[in-house]
Amino acid sequence: MTSSNADRIFAEGEVYLDYQSARPVDPRVVEAMQPYFTERFGNPASLHSVGDRATDTLEASRADVAAFLGATPEEVIFTSGATESNNVALLGYAKRNKRKGDHVVITEVEHISVLNLGKYLEQEGFRVTRVPPDQFGRINPDKLRARITDDTILVSVGWASNEIGTIQPIAAIAEMLNGSDIALHVDAVAAEGQVPLDMSAVPVHLLSISSNDIYGPQGVGALYIRKGTRLAAVTMGGGQERGLRSGTENLPGIVGMAAAARIAAAELPAEAPRLAALRDRLIREVLSTVPDSHLNGHPVERLPNNAHFRFEGIEGESLLLSLRDEGIAVSTGSACSSKTLEPSHTLISCGLLHEEAHGSLELTVGRFSRDSDVDRLMQVLPGVVDRLRRLSPLYRKH
Amino acid sequence: MKSTQYSEKTLEHFRNPRNVGILEGDDVAIGRVGNPVCGDLMEMYVRVKDDRIDDIKFQTFGCGSAIATSSMITELVMGKTLDEALEVTRADVADALDGLPPVKMHCSNLAADALHDAIKNWRSGTKLEPLSAEAVAAAGKGCGTGVTAEATTIQGTEEYAGKGVYTEVDDTSVLADKRVLVLDKGAASAKLAMTLTEVTPRVIFLTELQALALPDEIATEIKRSDVKVLYQSRLLAVRGEGEVEKVLIRDLDEEDEYELFVDAVVLLEP
Repeated sequence: MTSSNADRIFAEGEVYLDYQSARPVDPRVVEAMQPYFTERFGNPASLHSVGDRATDTLEASRADVAAFLGATPEEVIFTSGATESNNVALLGYAKRNKRKGDHVVITEVEHISVLNLGKYLEQEGFRVTRVPPDQFGRINPDKLRARITDDTILVSVGWASNEIGTIQPIAAIAEMLNGSDIALHVDAVAAEGQVPLDMSAVPVHLLSISSNDIYGPQGVGALYIRKGTRLAAVTMGGGQERGLRSGTENLPGIVGMAAAARIAAAELPAEAPRLAALRDRLIREVLSTVPDSHLNGHPVERLPNNAHFRFEGIEGESLLLSLRDEGIAVSTGSACSSKTLEPSHTLISCGLLHEEAHGSLELTVGRFSRDSDVDRLMQVLPGVVDRLRRLSPLYRKH
Repeated sequence: MKSTQYSEKTLEHFRNPRNVGILEGDDVAIGRVGNPVCGDLMEMYVRVKDDRIDDIKFQTFGCGSAIATSSMITELVMGKTLDEALEVTRADVADALDGLPPVKMHCSNLAADALHDAIKNWRSGTKLEPLSAEAVAAAGKGCGTGVTAEATTIQGTEEYAGKGVYTEVDDTSVLADKRVLVLDKGAASAKLAMTLTEVTPRVIFLTELQALALPDEIATEIKRSDVKVLYQSRLLAVRGEGEVEKVLIRDLDEEDEYELFVDAVVLLEP
């Protein structure tokens, strides 16, 4: 199933090692969505039978996504993606609970959407504290605890870094906050489908997920809201999704997300170790064949699909362009590949110097990755690094 | 426009850069611009004969456009008189490459600046040396006289004593898996830095000097070790929430200040 789909999705010779940026929709998901564009269309707000059918579909989909999270259906709302989920959660909670306090704690290794929400909350009069990680990108719960004050109302920590793949001790942080009046929001996008997310076991209040990161369509996401957690609306409209996300529901997209969640839940136990084996091969072979290469992120507590490196003496965008010429798609934390010409904030907060962050390479595998993808990368990478180092005045020490 | 949306010509020069390498001899001038901290460092080697560019080579650390503009400018000025070469502007380089993404225009600036620096050095008789290992690590352009260390106070060392600032380390295991910054206090501090690599992957040795003033065997050993040596850098302040979390460092060469995330600072007593 996996290998034949990979042949359908990727052209001959094309190697995709950037699942973190975007994932192809699983063909089984596409099939499930198909009828909902035409014969099973409908608006859940309509009072006729077409509308009733749409309501039934919406609620069945909600139950599937809730089951994927170990939640009840009433605790899940659909959004347009994880960025919107983060907005609804952080802005909605801060607005609703402002009377209780004006302090929010996030971390230095959050996704850009949470970092920018932190800046926005500061403009709105909140105080926002950012917890630094250790050298592996991990947040120490004690360091987080030390930043909590009587005015703290909300803590937001990503389940795992979308960039370097480090998994955070979410259960420990949730336990630490449990029983207090402080809500915990978790952006789980990088982790979903790779590590179990069980809201019945971990006392998280708000959790953001996206559809595409479990091989569903782009433009759909969900927010888990633990029973009793109160939010104010941040978008105004017809009052859909408990008034928290107005706008007619994207029914085909939601059906796709539900199908993706069912598949992800069923396949995770076998898929996570398969991906971890590919990741471990990448780490082993890159570190042993490319001189002066280093692993970024945590050696053990890392996502099954993420291998993140830095290479001394070369710059990441040059590396990306060279691999692109060989048909290999990757990402880098280099400043030269970003709009702002700033290097990755995650790598800098792990303690890397700017010039070290410039030479980074992010490889992420996924459902359609195979050993032959790793073979192809390893045929090319050592030569590409060597060529760029021979061009570089910074790599003369050997 | 995406930052990597390059013209075919730019990509062609990136893939097959012309005139890569270095030149040596009395008739060679070297120009150098950029800073690895910003992600680019460019070196131009120009051989001058009868006031003309007889040969030119370059080495560049940088993104695709930095490499392509270096390559293009060597083609544009080969054989030209020095005055003609000085008239080549950043716009000429970008035009010759069929344009650059707006966010990458500064790269064409660098290539022209590196060339102009080489010509200026030729005319003033300034002789730059090819980058040595120290200079590579110092990552700077000024290769003049050494910087003399001034006695300065470091903010926060007393406040964080026992909270990540150490004046002695008897048991290295207290620094296991920590990001440790060791200040250059001579041979003993260099040896300690090397010993610490056995317990943590991240040890930074910070010196205000351009080249290590240590006994030869220790200097050689530390350069080969996993210790990251930061030259021409001054520790200004230790910061954090109740314990050491960051340091403020001044880059003495670039006259620039930046924060570095660390867990511990070692300032051995003399």
